[in-house]
Amino acid sequence: MRSIRHHLALILPLFSILFCIEYLLQFNRVIDSYETNLKENYTLVLVADKSLDPSDISHSDILISKVEPIDSKSVLRKIKGEMSSKSLDKIRAVMPAFMSIKLRRYADIERIERLKSRLLSIKGVRSVHVFEKVHNRLYVMLLFMKTSFIAFGTLTAVISLLLLMKQMTIWQFEHKERMQIMALFGAPVWLRSGALFKTALLDAFFAFIAVVATMLYLVNSSRVQELLRNIKIEPEILLKLNDFAVLAAASFAISFFSAAWVVIRFKEDQ
Amino acid sequence: MPNVIKANALKLAYPRHEPVINSATFQVDTGEFVFVTGASGSGKSTLLKSMYGAMPLFGGELQVGGIDMSSISGSRLYKLRRHIGIVFQDYKLVKEWSVEKNVMLPLMIAGFPKDVCRAQAQKLLAHVKLSHKSDKYPLELSGGEQQRVAMARALAHNPFLILADEPTGNLDDYSSQMVWSLLERANSELETTVLVVTHHIPDMFNSKYRHLMIENGVLYEIH
Repeated sequence: MRSIRHHLALILPLFSILFCIEYLLQFNRVIDSYETNLKENYTLVLVADKSLDPSDISHSDILISKVEPIDSKSVLRKIKGEMSSKSLDKIRAVMPAFMSIKLRRYADIERIERLKSRLLSIKGVRSVHVFEKVHNRLYVMLLFMKTSFIAFGTLTAVISLLLLMKQMTIWQFEHKERMQIMALFGAPVWLRSGALFKTALLDAFFAFIAVVATMLYLVNSSRVQELLRNIKIEPEILLKLNDFAVLAAASFAISFFSAAWVVIRFKEDQ
Repeated sequence: MPNVIKANALKLAYPRHEPVINSATFQVDTGEFVFVTGASGSGKSTLLKSMYGAMPLFGGELQVGGIDMSSISGSRLYKLRRHIGIVFQDYKLVKEWSVEKNVMLPLMIAGFPKDVCRAQAQKLLAHVKLSHKSDKYPLELSGGEQQRVAMARALAHNPFLILADEPTGNLDDYSSQMVWSLLERANSELETTVLVVTHHIPDMFNSKYRHLMIENGVLYEIH
């Protein structure tokens, strides 16, 4: 029982830290994916006196990935109704040129405003229309959630680290006597601290397995999948092999340095 | 190695304290059995600690096994300790290890295979009449039994020097007798040099072995 408690004292803070890391990685991916969706659905329409050279517009801002003229015939077809061909000709004569602009990545309102003013400064451009309001509100909410999670995650990680340090102090007391006796008989550092590193690395392994299992459970839960589909994100993006490597490295590194800290602080009594 | 221990004007002091030993000049040769006595707080244990490198020198010279102890540290010190057997008044057994594993410790450090360590530990436990308790843990043993385990551990790796700090200080007559007998046998049969720090030499050893005494920080040769 005592042994289980000792292991849990390291496994639980490690689990919290790893969980924060993994959650942050997943959250970043969700937002990236959402940004991609937004970017694809995001349209700017430029209205100009006459048709402009698309490359001139492209070069005006780095954010622009593609500029395509909108065919005036398709616009006229939509408003044609009962109009006579004479009236349509008159409209065509005074109708401005429309150009659709695609972006390289999703940009916030401030950036879009800058882009708009750059486009409006191009000679012949009458106006620029942006269709993004609903997306932007959701995006802002996601960003807010991300910021909140970073704050919460950092706090959790700091508390977990403090718990880890406390556990290291306990370890120091627990292992000191054995290490002291072994040192008196000439045991080299690796031998007298072997048990400590073994415990630390074993606990790191358990914490890693626990986080992976929890993540697999969450990712496969129907509620999480439904939530992601609602914002048009494929649930598969949550599971990445790279994450497992990051988590394993973090878990073993934290445990290794914790054990090393105890070993470095070991001093023989006089 | 004629001089196992060689001290010349040795001075020992704890940090920010007056020296405990002001002057100690003596030699201990291979195969000798030596008692060091003195009142409580006279510096007997401090002198012993300096011999296994747990106490830095404050002045003078000290050589153990031909090695200068004034600048020894790290791996050189651990290497030297692997050839010394130490017996403590408070036994210093690893509580979370079995009796057998405690005896195996010096052999494990020396790098012997596990089965060799186990066989040697069992042999020594038989010598100290504790074979039947090899699976027990130190806290399940009496003080006398713990000291016998510590004796077995000190002898396990055939050390050239045994340093014993009040080895029978807390023991009953039976266990004390056994500890003295083991120390004598190691000395006579294996020619192991033995240096025992004690406040009282048992009557049976009076005048039999060399006797050094510490008084007011100075070490004297009694006989």
